[in-house]
Amino acid sequence: MTSARRYFTDYLGMMLSLALLILIFSLGNKRFFSINTLLAISNQVPVLAVMVVGMTFVLVIGGIDLSVGSVMALCGSVLGTALTGWHWPLAPALVLALVSGLAFGAINGALAVFARVPSFIVTLGTMEIARGFAYLVTDSRTKYIGNAIEALGPALSMGISLGGVSTVVSVVLGQIGLSRTVFGRYAVGIGTSEETMRISGIDTRSTKIAVFAISGFLAAWASILYCARLEAADPNAGAGLELQVIAAAVIGGASPLGGHGSVVKSFLGVLILAVLNYGLAQIGASEPTKRIIIGAAIIASVALDLYRNRPAGHPRIDF
Amino acid sequence: MALGKFLRSLLLVAVLLAPVSRLSALPERRRPVIALIMKSLANEFFLTMEEGAKEHQARNAARYELITRGIKDEGDVEQQIRIVEQMIAIRVDAIVLAPADSEALVPICRAAAGAHILVVNIDNRLDASALAEKGLRVPYSGPNNVEGAREVGDYLAARLEPGDKVAIVEGVPTAQNSKDRTRGFSEAMETAGMRIVDVVSGYWEMESANAAAITIMSEFPDIKAILCGNDNMALGVVAAINAAGRSGRILVTGFDDISAATKLLKQDKLLVTADQHGDRIAVAGIETALAILGGSPPADRETSIDLVTK
Repeated sequence: MTSARRYFTDYLGMMLSLALLILIFSLGNKRFFSINTLLAISNQVPVLAVMVVGMTFVLVIGGIDLSVGSVMALCGSVLGTALTGWHWPLAPALVLALVSGLAFGAINGALAVFARVPSFIVTLGTMEIARGFAYLVTDSRTKYIGNAIEALGPALSMGISLGGVSTVVSVVLGQIGLSRTVFGRYAVGIGTSEETMRISGIDTRSTKIAVFAISGFLAAWASILYCARLEAADPNAGAGLELQVIAAAVIGGASPLGGHGSVVKSFLGVLILAVLNYGLAQIGASEPTKRIIIGAAIIASVALDLYRNRPAGHPRIDF
Repeated sequence: MALGKFLRSLLLVAVLLAPVSRLSALPERRRPVIALIMKSLANEFFLTMEEGAKEHQARNAARYELITRGIKDEGDVEQQIRIVEQMIAIRVDAIVLAPADSEALVPICRAAAGAHILVVNIDNRLDASALAEKGLRVPYSGPNNVEGAREVGDYLAARLEPGDKVAIVEGVPTAQNSKDRTRGFSEAMETAGMRIVDVVSGYWEMESANAAAITIMSEFPDIKAILCGNDNMALGVVAAINAAGRSGRILVTGFDDISAATKLLKQDKLLVTADQHGDRIAVAGIETALAILGGSPPADRETSIDLVTK
């Protein structure tokens, strides 16, 4: 199979799974196929979609970022405290939140590169550290932001929301960055064989740090979407969110062993998870049932992916 | 190498035992030591509780010594059991416990009683049948959540017309205080003749409650009020109502009176919340413990819940 064709079947396969899920839920509950469902799902997708872009890059270089949920909570806490506690105007508060995320991500990358601690361990540590800082910044209290963040409110105009724009921009830029730039090629190269890259005289360190920094930055971006939607900052936000983000990327075919992944397919993974989540709730599945089904779906989709790609192919990036 | 390792572990043991030795090294321990064991200190409610207890101790320094402990997150039952074990090991005189689980903490309470350590239950009531099975009697100090929720419901009912549609966003469905509040809300609404069209769980969280409110509003466009099991969830519900452009047309009630709720009340986005006085709950538990240690018979204490409006 040529890679172009394989790309096409992969992509089509995911679209079909998504369509099939929608069909099943629509048959299961008359109310599912409606504008309300679309609204409810589109309300929850942006936070995950923005974060999955960063996670795809991290997985492509063969790393993992467990800190994104906590970093999101920290950046939201910084934003909320800057707005309500220190009475900063919106713009500098947003910048501070984004810089915090970028810095945290860069620290993750630097520790993984210079201290040579595996990113799994580094981000396991920073997951706790970021959460701790989030509690410190907010004094463990939920901050109600209200009007100070209304400018970023639910709909900018003509039904175009900040969340929707962020989703499209991050997915498109992310995919172009991964498949059409030198940076993306380096990222894939690192995930495939870092040694080869080094022997070829390429400094892989800066690319790796940049990838983690991007992941942190996007977690901060997601925190802005979260705070704008809820008009509040919660230091407990995003607990366990990293696992949902990783699950979405993995459903989208990103390999935890590095070397391949596609931003667009990770985004489809987010959609599949969101539809599953909402659809199961609507047909009356209980919380335990939902968890069991979603867990099985994650494993099944990866098993299927591995099965279809049996002949050891070359590393690839799909679009 | 081996010696280094040995010295290191010795150091570790010393560090771990330091707080214990400080306690036992006190000159003749006349003042009783009371351990206040709470749920997550990342939750504002328990933070208030801890502050209240510390203040009380500072004012009554001659009467007792206080140790306060919290767990990392609400669901970490095992960690809370370990903390109780530690407190038994250092032989405190009384344990004032806000259990993370109404049943799972019963066996360790039995162990504490076996070691002649007094246990007082606060905040979330231990399961009566589990206590009976272990032959334990544990005094309880805390609020009556059913009653508090009923008051919130009555306050809301006065602003609605009989037959109006309302929904309840409750906490973790298995938690006793969540069940109690839902019961109180339901009783008040039914008495006043409202129609409860939906009871969904927001798991005490802002985001789940936000999603739940969006679903409720789409399924019941003529919904008139949403009663929330805590203020965090009320924040999420209020944001959902704002986003739908229906601010002011759907009434929202909360519970707990966290600081973020104050602003919502001022802006008329939240109708009412209830203050359970976390600080008073801890103090009531400590006073109960001191009274029993002083020879009084064990007795339950009910602490007050007050409605908070604009």
